[in-house]
Amino acid sequence: MAVSGQQDQDIVQINENKRVKHVRFKPTKEIQQNDYSNHYIHTGVLPHQHITNTESPVVGYPKLQKLLALKEDQIKQYATNPFGCKVEIDQMVPTINHWIRDEQLTFDVVMIGCLTDNQFIYPLLTQLALDRLVSKPGFLFIWASAQKINELNRLLNNETWAKKFRRSEELVFVPIDKNSPFYPGLEQDDNSIVDKMQWHCWMCITGTVRRSTDGHLIHCNIDTDLGFEKKDTRVGAVPSHLYRVVENFSTSTKRLHIIPARTGFEKPVRPRPGWVVMSPDILLNNFSPKRYKQEISVIGCNVPLKNEIENLRPKSPIQKV
Amino acid sequence: MSTEQVLRFLITNHENLLLAPLYGDLRSIFCVYLSCFQDDDILAATFQLFSKALQDICDIADGSLALNSQAGEMYQNSRVEFIDVSLLKLMHEKINSLGGERIKRRDFDTGHHLTGSHLERMLCILNQDANENKSENILLRKLQKLLSTCPGSIQLAKEREQHISKTVGYIPICTNEKHKALLATIVPTSAHELGSIPGFKLSQAKVNCPGLIDCLQRKKHFIPNIKPHTDISLGDCSYLDTCHKLNSCRYTHYLQYIPENLCKTISAETKLANKLNENQKNYPFYTHGNCCSNFVKQDLPEQWIQCDVRKFDFTVLGKFSAVIADPAWNIHMNLPYGTCNDNELLELPFETLQDEGILFLWVTGRAIEMGKEFLTKWGYIVLHEISWVKTNQLSRTIVTGRTGHWLNHSKEHLLVGLKGNPIWLNRKIDTDIIVSATRETSRKPDELYGLIERLVGPHARKLEFFGRHHNLRPGWFTIGNQLPGVCIHELDVKKRYEQFLAKPERAHKHS
Repeated sequence: MAVSGQQDQDIVQINENKRVKHVRFKPTKEIQQNDYSNHYIHTGVLPHQHITNTESPVVGYPKLQKLLALKEDQIKQYATNPFGCKVEIDQMVPTINHWIRDEQLTFDVVMIGCLTDNQFIYPLLTQLALDRLVSKPGFLFIWASAQKINELNRLLNNETWAKKFRRSEELVFVPIDKNSPFYPGLEQDDNSIVDKMQWHCWMCITGTVRRSTDGHLIHCNIDTDLGFEKKDTRVGAVPSHLYRVVENFSTSTKRLHIIPARTGFEKPVRPRPGWVVMSPDILLNNFSPKRYKQEISVIGCNVPLKNEIENLRPKSPIQKV
Repeated sequence: MSTEQVLRFLITNHENLLLAPLYGDLRSIFCVYLSCFQDDDILAATFQLFSKALQDICDIADGSLALNSQAGEMYQNSRVEFIDVSLLKLMHEKINSLGGERIKRRDFDTGHHLTGSHLERMLCILNQDANENKSENILLRKLQKLLSTCPGSIQLAKEREQHISKTVGYIPICTNEKHKALLATIVPTSAHELGSIPGFKLSQAKVNCPGLIDCLQRKKHFIPNIKPHTDISLGDCSYLDTCHKLNSCRYTHYLQYIPENLCKTISAETKLANKLNENQKNYPFYTHGNCCSNFVKQDLPEQWIQCDVRKFDFTVLGKFSAVIADPAWNIHMNLPYGTCNDNELLELPFETLQDEGILFLWVTGRAIEMGKEFLTKWGYIVLHEISWVKTNQLSRTIVTGRTGHWLNHSKEHLLVGLKGNPIWLNRKIDTDIIVSATRETSRKPDELYGLIERLVGPHARKLEFFGRHHNLRPGWFTIGNQLPGVCIHELDVKKRYEQFLAKPERAHKHS
């Protein structure tokens, strides 16, 4: 029995060998390109699910990988404790005004909004003395649904605004599929002609920074303007990707994130080292201006230059004189 | 548990019991009742007893409680709709004056079994079809269902598209690192081209890596093109197959490996699938968004007019369902086609091209706001921003190469403007993400044509502005200053174009 079994296996082996020989493995010369939009129509697999580097965006680039690891370490080293400031939405402006007026507190990086519908961004932006809250040079990131960002267009394009905050990049975050907690479900209105899959962010710069000379303030071209949800992205109001792009770009250690929305239990707001997060739903409520200023005075206002990082990071080509 | 206790509970809490979040739900009220009283007596309380007590109250003080269930029966899903406190208070006074003795009930031995602790029973009550009957849950679920319902029109349009649109050959990409490494050693490369795998190496590979042969027959592989000057430790080239210095670049480049056989199989399969669709397509009953002669009508061939758009009479063209425009925004540096500055662009009579329909406008950088502004001025509302995710040879997003000023750019934006109320659109068939490889500078992905054709139907008139030679496409009218002459098939357009050419002032201008 055992012998015949062995023989059977051999025959299968031979047959397979024959088949292998018959199959021609001559490579084709034509360049084949897939049409993922067409494939989506026929199979329902979303176009962006074919992208091969969503899980590790910098695969294939060892220099970039090393740079990102070094940056991460250094940012961690120069981060304040995670601060949470649990404030009702209508108390946000008074609270911040108090910080500005009575505590002389400013931030170099201010992020507003998160990946949720029903944010009170417009009232916040119109009431808040942003130009006094954000120091110069400073960086402002506004995250909202594509529709909301579009609605803010008029405000952010009006002259007084546009003079203070120059719109510099538009970032996009894409959920992995339609079952994702980040899928902008409520965004789908009757007018839509395509399924919306994106969250948008306006990155604004105030004051003057130059890419070529201000390496102590900003590190350009490290991240891209596009992020995808990964398998290990934790459910929450803000995927860590959003924070990381900001941290890699600006060397400042004074970062504030205001979330003018109720995010509830399904989308918890998590504290993050190096950030003061203000939200009605943050799990932590430990912020005190005095303690914060003291921590900043210990670690400094900027992550210092590090030779290894300077050698690796993308820089403007040096102008020939 | 005494009826008196229940009565007291009702009197003290009557307001809250009917409001959110309880809404008079009997089971919820019972839970609150349990948590209000902590004495030993309560240990024996069951929902049955509780409802019995309520029933008694109802019987004694008729009209003090109004329930939503019929015939006064009390179930777990019953709801108290009204509580008359004054009647209850009256009853309470009466009981107190009587000493409460006669009404106090003691039916602990009426068949119920005491199981578990106080907490357990509370949990148990909460678990019982918790989502089923609570009125607020019912409302929420109804709302959620309403919001998430996909209209029949969308589902039907999707399905129809699935059945009638042509399939394009699709070959998945292998992401197995082991396969990549192994193939690099067995596939011979010469002069940046791949050769056939020698038979003995193939059988060897089969032993070393069992799934490989199967994978080769199904998927596309990318094989490192290792040259003497290649330094693997540097990683991949930012430009890959578009690198101009293949003979000196020290970064790794790749060659696409697809067996000829796989190509043949896929194209045969695609052909078959399309033929099947072709045969079926006489019969879709869902005709929304199509013209009535959809399947009899011949597709129009590509048409184009070479012209300077600034001096062109737009009325020659007629009206269109969809328009694409890819202007060379002034804010950019010199691009390989003629320029039309931003003010001139705004001055163009775009409003004449569509009565209702959609306009797709490619924008980058600062032009995003300008584009939105222009769309509004031309009478459109900005409906969407479609993102074109730019990929490279390996189907990875582009992450290096200082493609943007502050951050690298992995995508480009396409604004979608809507004019009027075109009810004939087939909405939401596609998503707002296009994933496609980059090609020559400023050349946009062809996937957009498919997306628009699905949206407006195959026979709708479609126009592309600032198009170049590679933009010509059946069913589309292309306008631009770099096109090879003029080609018009629609007779009315041809006539108007001839009239336009014959106009005296134009002739004068040219002379």
